[in-house]
Amino acid sequence: MEALQSLSFAQALRESALVYPIIMSLHLTGMGLFGGMIAMTDLRILGLAFKGTPVADVHNQLRAFKHLGLTLVVTCGLLLGISKAAIYWPNPYFKLKLTLLLCVTIHALVFRGSVYSHLEEYDRTGVIPGNAKVAAVISLLLWFSLVAAGRWIGYWEPAAAE
Amino acid sequence: MQFAGYDPANYPLNQNEWSFPVCEVFHIAGFALLIGTIFIVDLRLMGLGMKRESTATVLKGTAPWTLLGLAAVLITGPLIFFSDPNLYMANASFRFKITMLLIAMLYNWTLHRMVANKPDPGTLGVLVGALSAFLWASVIFAGIFIAFV
Repeated sequence: MEALQSLSFAQALRESALVYPIIMSLHLTGMGLFGGMIAMTDLRILGLAFKGTPVADVHNQLRAFKHLGLTLVVTCGLLLGISKAAIYWPNPYFKLKLTLLLCVTIHALVFRGSVYSHLEEYDRTGVIPGNAKVAAVISLLLWFSLVAAGRWIGYWEPAAAE
Repeated sequence: MQFAGYDPANYPLNQNEWSFPVCEVFHIAGFALLIGTIFIVDLRLMGLGMKRESTATVLKGTAPWTLLGLAAVLITGPLIFFSDPNLYMANASFRFKITMLLIAMLYNWTLHRMVANKPDPGTLGVLVGALSAFLWASVIFAGIFIAFV
């Protein structure tokens, strides 16, 4: 981890008064972009938003920006993480965040086949099955937890050495 | 504006270690919903997404969730502020954030909504959407910079 954060770009990022907060701000702005998309898609699946619009339309038309938002968030996240790799690594909330990221990846893989590729079918039948709603709820919970874990990173302090 | 004699030690949110971070988490989730939904309308105004629906439909679909996000930030924001009001008032980035927030809110619920409800916002729509995205992004940036100035 020390080796990672001692890369020259990592050092420059960590020590700069302007670039680090800018990257952090882009990270949060990306979260706004991405979060809004995820929220609307999941809320539509739950029948709580955009009720007059077909589910597949909501999902498909937001997808490009969802990916853009995700790319922004992940890129900034990687830059922030690498710049302080040795500082973050012992932090349990950082590890929790990485675990949750793994969970959302698994969620995407699990539900892509069973839910997200079947949205046109739901629009045809007019019925959204239970497992789709479960997927949507889990998605919302996971992303909320990611936000919480991310914010808590800043509050953890290493225990003073005895 | 000075909060003379105000002692943060008496503030309920400062009595334990977790209530402040919890507030912040709901503040972040709140603005993700508020600004994320507004970004969706802006993208539509700029002709970049949800093109199969009219701007008015996109506005209508997101509106209740934008309001929920707004409620979350307007509740958690003051809660956070009053944990140490003199500190925040002295912070230039905080003052900038509130200024931009007021402008963005005013803009969103007047010109932005008016243009989004037009049957064909056209080029004006593109400009209105772009400005909206910029205003709300500034609020986020200013918020982060509070800790860095």
